[in-house]
Parts: sequence; structure tokens; C-alpha cells
Amino acid sequence: MYQTFVGLEIHIHLNTATKVFCGCKAHFGDEPNTNVCPVCMGYPGVLPVLNQHALELAYTVSLALGCQLSHRTLFDRKNYFYPDMPKNYQITQFHEPVGQNGSIEFALADGTTKKVRIHDVHLEEDAGKMIHAGDMTLVDYNRAGYSLLEVVTEPDLASGEETEAFLQAFQRVVRYLGVSDGNMEEGSMKCDTNVSINKAGAGLGTKVEIKNLNSSRFVKKAIEHEQKRQAAVLEAGNKVSQETRLWNENRDVTETMRTKEGGLDYRYFPEPDLPPFVPDASFLKRIQDAQVELPLARKQRLVREFGLSREQADFVTDARFTADFFEQAVRASAASGGSAMANWLMGDVQKELNHFNLTLEACPLTAGRLASLQSLLDAGRIHTKIAKQLLVSIFEEDKDPETLLQEKGLESIATEQQLAPIVESVFSAHPNVVAAVKAGDARQKGFLVGQVMKATGGRAAPDLVNALLAKFLA
Amino acid sequence: MDTKELETTALLAQIELGKGDLARLGEAVSQMLDNFRKMNELDTEGLEATTHALVTDNRVRPDSPVPSDLADALVERSPELEDRFIVIPNVL
Repeated sequence: MYQTFVGLEIHIHLNTATKVFCGCKAHFGDEPNTNVCPVCMGYPGVLPVLNQHALELAYTVSLALGCQLSHRTLFDRKNYFYPDMPKNYQITQFHEPVGQNGSIEFALADGTTKKVRIHDVHLEEDAGKMIHAGDMTLVDYNRAGYSLLEVVTEPDLASGEETEAFLQAFQRVVRYLGVSDGNMEEGSMKCDTNVSINKAGAGLGTKVEIKNLNSSRFVKKAIEHEQKRQAAVLEAGNKVSQETRLWNENRDVTETMRTKEGGLDYRYFPEPDLPPFVPDASFLKRIQDAQVELPLARKQRLVREFGLSREQADFVTDARFTADFFEQAVRASAASGGSAMANWLMGDVQKELNHFNLTLEACPLTAGRLASLQSLLDAGRIHTKIAKQLLVSIFEEDKDPETLLQEKGLESIATEQQLAPIVESVFSAHPNVVAAVKAGDARQKGFLVGQVMKATGGRAAPDLVNALLAKFLA
Repeated sequence: MDTKELETTALLAQIELGKGDLARLGEAVSQMLDNFRKMNELDTEGLEATTHALVTDNRVRPDSPVPSDLADALVERSPELEDRFIVIPNVL
């Protein structure tokens, strides 16, 4: 049996308004080569100047991942010739990255957790974008110089499935921290995957790097393909060659891109144009203040504190906004527990969001409104069916539940005093049905319930209707 | 430095060297390496590496856009353009 080792090099675009070494806008989707200047176009004689916010975000991630923070971080030149990088080198960090030796804990499908060690976190610049078309390549340098954060893990992941779960967890972490939108499809999070297999207990095998993976799903599939391919190579008595392979999403296979030869040598050396950065006390205070409760910790706390099921907790903590919304709503509705609120969010609220094509962030439902809706239910002033109607009205009319309740006159008829006369009038209008039910035809009881509901416009509390019918029929 | 090593270095730097260049540069580079070797003999135990002299404070800038007024001029210097993309031979 073979053992699999997966290590990742994850790149995220940091949420900065400008590029990392120049004042050009870092904005996706602009006309090609508009956000460019002599610095990011690699003209001679220019000087890069570090974007302080990019450094703050880089340190924020490093601290959240439990890294040792560099007290004097340095930049290095990584030399290579390719037209996506007009300077012929990339400014990155090699000798003294922002953070080293951290770890991330994440949940596996069975609910247990696993820790992945982080080798280092370093800040660098992105390359330009190239479109290959026929015999020419089109180059756009708008993206050249974007703040890019690379997080390098140790080879601690053991399967495609585990890696997919890890990437999703990592994505949640960067979104919770607000440092990146972490969207793989749009290229704001990318991941190179190193896979090796070996006989169990024999340590790491020969590393193969896979590029061109733009979703966590493809990462999983590519790892699974590599496990089979490398096993077949070893079974045939051959050696796995150390190389870079590309994922071909049309054929679900990896293909050789380049074999690592002696020729590939980046000749790193300290970047002479950028002085070291030494974080001072106020910088470190800001990094400290930017920390948040991370998704896994929050999930575990919500299970503990509000008795949520794993499924509920997964849903609620998937996005930080939803988790905040949930906690605000629970705390604002005195009587009800977390489970009822989680069910609202997973069920009817999600249904209305889909229906109106809205997000929770930008919809008329606030945590306060959901809490008062639940409080009306808890107080018995409305029943579930009316609550669902009111929820739709909140989405349609953008008003508070209490206001809607008054305007629409939907308050429950929940006292015997109010309901008894209505039941009596239904009984006197349908004597035959009443007689039949009394004679033992229980099926017709539903008809009577329906008539009471009709007479009250659906506002009668169902429990009370049943209780009164039982009493009157006795 | 032997010729093979020099050739590899030239390849990495994308520099084309002729036979005469190799001999001349081989000698010059060897001399440089000898100088570094000499410096390496010094005892630097316990000293922090100096990457930059004369720098005492952090040099950073705020994250606010300062668009360049040179963007159009830079793009127009390219030999070939298509919808503002810079056109080069296919490198894939």
C-alpha cells in the first residue's frame, strides 16, 4: 500500500486598493494595460516602495496561522525570464519571510479535526496576464504587481478529499480575516499542489508539482489522478520523475509541463531596492486588533454554547457575516434557542434569498428583524405559517415584523374567548358534519378545522383550534 | 570558474557569449570569486547580515492609488498592440 503526501503553495490576492510596490490601482476587470506605470512595467531606474497595508494583511494572516512573526522581514529577487514579468525577476521573500512555522487546524468530513503545519507565509508580487492566441500571445500588465500572499504548507495532507476540505477551510479563514475574497474561480486564490507517494512508512516520495488548478474540486481530482499514475509508475519498477505537470480539466488528467533540470535556478538574492521592514509596536498592535475568532473555533463554540448540530454549525459559520447575523439574532430574541434561529437561516431565509436573488448582507432582513419575528412566535402572537408569511413580507416590503403584523392584522387568535364563538358558528353552519364526526367519522374533522381557519383568515392558533374542537365534540 | 559553469550562468542570465568572451570573462569572474572567498575567511560569527547600508527607518507608502500619467505613453511604445494588449510571439 502506498502513502500519499500532499503539500500546497497557496497564493491569495490581498485586498489592497493599490499594487504592492507602486501606486497603480489593483482593480480587476479594467481595460488592459491601464493600471500600469514605469515601476510595474519594469522600466530601468525606478524604485519600488512597499504598500504598508499589504504588509499589515500579510502579518495578520501569519499571526492567525500561529506563525513566528519576522522582526525584520526582507525581500528577495527571484530571477526568471518570462514575458508575464517585465522586470525579469519577481520581488518575493526567501530568506526572511513575514511568518514561519505556523499551523492550521481544520475539520474533516467525519467531524474530527486535523492540523496542517505551515512552513512559511511570504509577500510577493503577482505577474501579468497572458492570453495565448494562435501564433501570438497577448499580454496585460494590469495584474503585474498585485499584492500576493503565498502560504506554503508542509506535506501533511494525505488524500484528495482531505486537501479539498483543507482548501475550503483555508478559504474561510482568509475571508473571516477579511484579507482576501479567496475566490478560486476568479483567480484571487490559486494553489500549486505537490504530490508524492511512497510505500507506507518509507517517508516522502519524489515530488510532482501540479499547476493550473482553479478550484478545490480540481485539486482533489488531480491528486487522485496523480496517486494512480505514480502508483502505476512504481509498480512497473520505474522511478517517478520530478517534474511540473499541468491539470487538463477537459480530460481529467495531469500532463507534463516541464521537467526540473539543473537549468532552473532562480538565483535568489536580497532585493537591493527595498529596505528591510521592522514592525514597530503600533504596527503589531494593529495586527493583534485585526485578529478574529477563526471559523473552526467559532463553529466549536456555537455547538457548545447554542447546542447546534454539526450541520447547523457548518452552515451558520461558513461565512463570518452569517455567523455574526446568527449570534446577533439569537441574543436579541430572548426566549428562543440557537437551533430555531439556525433552522430559519438554513431553511426559509435561504429560500427567500434564492427567490429574490439576494445575499444576506444586502437584503431587507436584519438580525433584529429575524429576532423579533422569532419573539412573536415565542410569545404565541403568531404561529409558524404566519411567521413564514411575515418573512416573505419583510423581503417584499422592507418593514419590521411588528409593523407588518399590525398593518396586515395577522395576529393570532389564540385565546379561547376569541375563538370559541367562531367555532360555534362553524358548528351551527355544518350540523351534518358535526353529527358525522360525533358518530365516529374522524376524517371529516379536517373539514371543520379548515372552516375555522377560513373564518379566521388563517390566524387561529392551530393547537387551540384542535383543543376547542375536541372540547366541543366531546 | 570553469567554462561549463560560466556557460550555465550566461544561459540563466540570457546572455549570449562567444568563445573569446568565455575566456576573458572566465578569468574576470574567477578573480571575483577569489575575492569573495577571501572575504569568507573573515569571522562573522554572531553578526547580522547587512543587506542595506544607510537605511534606518521603514520605507512604506499608504495604500492609496496614485495613477500614473505615463500609462498610455508606456503602452504606445510597444511594437505591436491589439485592443491595448501588448502583442508578442506565442510563448506557450
